[in-house]
Amino acid sequence: MANCHGNHEHGNCKTTGLCPIVTFPEVVNIDEIRDEIPEVKTFYLSFTNKDVEREFRIKSGQFIMCTVFGAGEFAVSLPPSPENDRFHISVRAVGKVTNALHALKPGDKLGVRGPFGNGFPFEDIKGKNIIYVAGGIGLIPLRSSIVHALQHREDFGRIILLYGARSSQDLMYQPDIREWQQNAGFETFITIDRPEEGWTGEVGYVNQLIEKAKVPVDNSVAFVCGPPVMFNSVIGEFLKRGMSEDAIISTLERLMKCGIGKCQHCAVGRTLVCTDGPVYTYRQIKTLGEQI
Amino acid sequence: MYILSSHEIKQLAQELQASHEVYGPQVDPQTQQVFFDQLTDVAALNLEAPIPSMPVKEILFPQMERILKYRYDSEAQSVTMSKQYFEKPKVLFGLRPCDLSGILVLDRFFLGQEFVDDVYLAHRRQCLLISNTCLNPFPQCFCVCTHSGPDADEGFDLDLTKLQDGYLVKVGSEKGQALADAHQWQLASPAQLSEQKAVVDHCIDLFPEMATDNKAWISRVMNRITTGFVKQETWEYIGDQCLECGACSFVCPTCSCFNIEDTQTACGECERLRMRDSCSFEGYARMAGDHNPRQPVEDRRNKRFFCKLSYPQSKKYLRPGCVGCGRCQWVCPGDIGLPNVVQYIRREITGGQN
Repeated sequence: MANCHGNHEHGNCKTTGLCPIVTFPEVVNIDEIRDEIPEVKTFYLSFTNKDVEREFRIKSGQFIMCTVFGAGEFAVSLPPSPENDRFHISVRAVGKVTNALHALKPGDKLGVRGPFGNGFPFEDIKGKNIIYVAGGIGLIPLRSSIVHALQHREDFGRIILLYGARSSQDLMYQPDIREWQQNAGFETFITIDRPEEGWTGEVGYVNQLIEKAKVPVDNSVAFVCGPPVMFNSVIGEFLKRGMSEDAIISTLERLMKCGIGKCQHCAVGRTLVCTDGPVYTYRQIKTLGEQI
Repeated sequence: MYILSSHEIKQLAQELQASHEVYGPQVDPQTQQVFFDQLTDVAALNLEAPIPSMPVKEILFPQMERILKYRYDSEAQSVTMSKQYFEKPKVLFGLRPCDLSGILVLDRFFLGQEFVDDVYLAHRRQCLLISNTCLNPFPQCFCVCTHSGPDADEGFDLDLTKLQDGYLVKVGSEKGQALADAHQWQLASPAQLSEQKAVVDHCIDLFPEMATDNKAWISRVMNRITTGFVKQETWEYIGDQCLECGACSFVCPTCSCFNIEDTQTACGECERLRMRDSCSFEGYARMAGDHNPRQPVEDRRNKRFFCKLSYPQSKKYLRPGCVGCGRCQWVCPGDIGLPNVVQYIRREITGGQN
């Protein structure tokens, strides 16, 4: 319990070895706000309590519960890599709380609980090729994993990103993408749905990039995140090529209220997305028996 | 085991009142309804009253509870926050064994999993449980099928059984033993021990035949639900009967789903409230942006019965998730209380032959 914040008095650190902020939110400051794409902003945050900040560790693929004071709490995935990356969240204004968040300015405060969830299985995939497939804001939950993988480039085979969005205006993390495109160890393929003036890259849906990228199926894992339509067509394509159901990994999104497996809103099949997920293999998702 | 007179029992409650909030069954003189509520006067404690209409989870897991208060000053961009759940020593005096089992389920769920629920822990930490063997089940009761009654065998600090002359007191914990030692209660005689057994047997005889007959069927139904062999049309039939009122969840001693909302108070402060929720509500899983992955009502219905009667859940609770109090059957306007659901699945197995 070396890393316990003193927020509670019990061993909540059994599985991760790190103690999340469980019930009582910690206050964070909004240092900077960047417009990403229409409706989506990125908020750079720092804890007001520096002791907490030092102990706050995330695993790629985890999420936090974020309080907008006066409006409520929402679950949001963590884009920063676990190592030396600025703490930030990217949020689409889609409901009451996220709209309230978008109305805030730098210097305003938020509450944070977490991090929660299982995270991506990085230990199990050493030596393999990683194929990232993202659609639209599906790049948000994958960013952490991409940056982490590139920071440990020697641990993996080929690293490929297939990313598609509606238009060039809807491509997330453009500064990152420019940097990734320069990275010799990273194969990036970007596409937009319809032709556009000034766009010289690929046009079409993201599943068409699989052929183009000559995606390796053996000894590979695919991290897939995006709208259900994209998800289903990409999975279909991978399975057709003989990829194992265990090698296709995604994160599920559900309504969450507690984050620690008590309120049950995120129950799907026999699992809870907040503690058993949000990262699942396609084989698991298939047996959950619910819509994606 | 000890034997206490009715007078001594009241005295014990009176004495505990000095240091604890004492809750117990009392009968409303106007309506004759039974409530398990805080006792202002121990004279109102009625250990022979019928089962209370609401489960005692209200005391440990209230319908609505404030867990956090904060004030956000947007001008100064500053926030002050205070935790709102406190520990008050409580005694639950005269719990029905079914309600006691309900608390054990909640304990194992809230405290025994990977994460501990701090709010529940605060309620539970200084709680003394005194159970009371059931003497009068109501017609829907079926605790004999779910191993939760009519007498208690685990989880209590003290357990009472009304005998001809006084109460037989079993001790179930160090806290209970400390009370017994401090008062030097009189030891029970072998005759009184066998009288206790006779009282329990008599109570079992009061159960309707259907309740006891279902005993073997509960485990078959659990097997069926766990392995996913219940036919879709049976779930649909059950789903069609559901009016989505959520009453079953609110009267169930083991249902623990909750929602969390922040609300503004008149004085400009905000409160974080947690309130009970029900998985049968349509908006239960709906996310921002109106995506609702769990729409069909039968999906939501079977979720609840899966929670009560499936092995993975039972493994979490170390017993079935249903404690057989029958309250859901009592309140359900659509006739799909848990005993009936067992019946429907049983009919499916036997091809319509009961």
